Amino acid sequence: MLDITTLSLTIGPDRQILRDVSLSVAAGEAVGLVGESGSGKSMTLRSILQIEPTGSEVTGSITLDDVDVRALRGEELRRMRANDVSMIAQNPHAVLNPVLPVERYLIEGMHDAQGQPTRTARLRAGELLEQVGIDAVDRVLRSYPHQLSGGMLQRVVIAGAIAGKPRLMLADEPTTALDVTTQAEVMAILDECRHELGMAMLFVTHDLDLAAAVCDRIAVMKDGEIVEIGLPEQLRDNPQHPYTRTLMESRPAGITWTLEGDTTP
Amino acid sequence: MKQFAERMGTLGLIACGIILVVVLGALLAPIIAPYDPTIGSVTQRYQGMSAEHWFGTDQAGRDIFSRLVWGARSSLTGPLIVVVITAIFGTTIALTAVWFGGFVDSALSRVLDLLFAFPNLLLAMLAIAVFGPSLTTAALALAVAYIPYSARVVRSMAMRERNLPYIRSPELQGIPGAVITVRHLLPNVAPLIVTGATINFGFAMIELAALSFLGLGVQPPEADWGLMVSNGQQSLLNGYPAESVLAGLSIVITVAAVGYVGERLGGRAAAGRKA
Amino acid sequence: MTFILRRLAALIGVLIASSFLVFAAMYAAPGSPENFLVQGRTVSPDVLAAIRAQYSLDDPFLVRFWNWLINVLQGDFGRSLANQQDVGDLLAGRLPTTLMLVSLAAIIIVVLGVGLGILAGTKGGIVDKVVLLGSNLGFAIPTFFAALILMSIFSVGLGWFPVFGSGDGFFDRIWHLSLPALALALPSSAVVARITRTSIREERDSEHSVMARARGVAEGLVMRRHVIRNSMLPVSTIVGVHIAGLIAGSFVVEYAFTLDGIGTLLVNAVQRKDFAVVQAIAIVLVAAFGVINLLVDLLYASIDPRVKVQQTR
Repeated sequence: MLDITTLSLTIGPDRQILRDVSLSVAAGEAVGLVGESGSGKSMTLRSILQIEPTGSEVTGSITLDDVDVRALRGEELRRMRANDVSMIAQNPHAVLNPVLPVERYLIEGMHDAQGQPTRTARLRAGELLEQVGIDAVDRVLRSYPHQLSGGMLQRVVIAGAIAGKPRLMLADEPTTALDVTTQAEVMAILDECRHELGMAMLFVTHDLDLAAAVCDRIAVMKDGEIVEIGLPEQLRDNPQHPYTRTLMESRPAGITWTLEGDTTP
Repeated sequence: MKQFAERMGTLGLIACGIILVVVLGALLAPIIAPYDPTIGSVTQRYQGMSAEHWFGTDQAGRDIFSRLVWGARSSLTGPLIVVVITAIFGTTIALTAVWFGGFVDSALSRVLDLLFAFPNLLLAMLAIAVFGPSLTTAALALAVAYIPYSARVVRSMAMRERNLPYIRSPELQGIPGAVITVRHLLPNVAPLIVTGATINFGFAMIELAALSFLGLGVQPPEADWGLMVSNGQQSLLNGYPAESVLAGLSIVITVAAVGYVGERLGGRAAAGRKA
Repeated sequence: MTFILRRLAALIGVLIASSFLVFAAMYAAPGSPENFLVQGRTVSPDVLAAIRAQYSLDDPFLVRFWNWLINVLQGDFGRSLANQQDVGDLLAGRLPTTLMLVSLAAIIIVVLGVGLGILAGTKGGIVDKVVLLGSNLGFAIPTFFAALILMSIFSVGLGWFPVFGSGDGFFDRIWHLSLPALALALPSSAVVARITRTSIREERDSEHSVMARARGVAEGLVMRRHVIRNSMLPVSTIVGVHIAGLIAGSFVVEYAFTLDGIGTLLVNAVQRKDFAVVQAIAIVLVAAFGVINLLVDLLYASIDPRVKVQQTR
């Protein structure tokens, strides 16, 4: 469904962030993109939505069901962003406008971006929050971002991301900025929503074990290049690239991810 | 030097050049100025530009070029007094507050709050009402008005430094606070003080010129740019713009140049002004 | 609510302290008031004593301060030493001009400063360059110089506006005061324009604006709802600070245009050492300055939900 072919990205005259990245995600599939910070994972995600930093030079192609998403402009680009692909970023406190209440964030996505009537959007906002496991729906809807915890806010962002039932979900370290205690919970909700809606997911993380727990395939990235792609067990049992081996060896022993409500086979 | 040039950029170097010219003009006024700035001749009133009088003469027949050159003196000394005094007292107050903290800090803060309550020009005018109009009174009063701005900035930076190991460890070794403050704390806040002074210089120049314009600063027949703008007001409306316009432009160009250099050095924030 | 009360209490404290400061400064000033009143004429000691009694000059300092303060609180600012007029009446007569001037200048700062800043910040290119250059020069133009230039071009040269005076009636007043207000607002507008531009630039690339775009929100809406709206938070404080600053700036412009406002009254009073008037104006201005600053902070707290929580906690 998503095909990234020889994607390269440079900022300024000499900072090459991505080098010939090729990767595909099938419908309903979850692909992990693993690497250390600065390896270009986030930039790969952002290129898909054309939100790379201004002044970036991008070559290569990205297609979504054979539509060249890098070539989209204006209204077509906006529709793609609103309906086909949604993104969850690392820090939810930065993602929501600090001066608007949570409800406005959700309504903005459904009404202003997807074109649903305001009344419908208002009703759905509450349902969506219930869907991501929030009990005090009304209180949360009325709250401003700074009044909520990171974990709570990331659920709001997930609710916003699934509102339009997109085909592809881009998740950029969605739990890294959260308290350790809420990380597993938020991850489980994300995973559950993905399965419910049958969305494909490109999941960026620095945590190989986490990727292994939620993804069907994993791509390992280093210095802007993908060095290895394989099934989680392949990478674990028989890593091909020396960097993958280093990653495997450097993980803290004894910690493995288990997800509540995990439905991955 | 090269580093400085890079930091300034082309415009910044031009600005530095302008400042240099103005300062040299002020220093060398007796040599450069062809005429006595305070003495005119009734027969020479409102002369146009000529080889004799480059910028013409004013309504009292005084040579405008000579007055501009001499005027640079008071127009620069005034702000200089303001920023030097502001820097000295602002820094001393800030470092004292930071070093002792607690009661001293909050007492000094209250005093500064009180000064903050007065608009700068109002404070200057009150001082002038009490002590009579003069450049010295105006400059001293403005310095007092600027101290809280300067003190606030230095205080907040010094406060951050205060708890760093390079300050803490000599303190634990029993080295006196005054010594640590002067030897370690001061050098680290010095660049901020210099930048703040540069930015304040421009503000002081405008406000002192305004006071002179109101007849509350430099007194006639002394040459001063602010005074010249006011002195030339009637002539300007009667169709002889040279005096007011040239004096006004001198202020604008100098302030813009100093402001630009200050901006390049580190910005308005260093002067404690949001503006 | 406690935040407002605390700030109000602080303001009142500062007002009392500053009026004490002003009163003490005038008290300590060289030259005695009765000498000012008799203006160098030789008068008998009896007359002098009568004058001292009339103005309560023999009371101890603190008693005089207390009486003055109580009178001020009742709206009695005393009498002008120069022309025997009631200072309160004098002030009331001058207030409309100054108020109108400052209000007009405030509107200009908002429209011109914020407007140009938004234009430069969102458009870029040549518009941006021009505004940036203009603001770099604009802040360096002293108000009195701007006043003279505007006057000579638009009043004397083109004859579009009156040269002097403040006009009668509402619209005539606006017409008389528009050039002075422009001169007064010019430097502040330059600063505000530049800060607005910077603020817009920062917000344009902020994560919430980028993510709004990524969610398919139209660019115009992102600009209005996320970029411009949020960049107005820091701008509103700056605008407030500058509007408060207009109070002092207005003296100079009033004087340049010979308007019959508080500023001209103050300048003349300072020149003539008419302390009763100086004191009264100083207190009124400090109060106005404090109230505007307080209002700005309250406004800021009301538009930025984060501030309120931090302050009241």
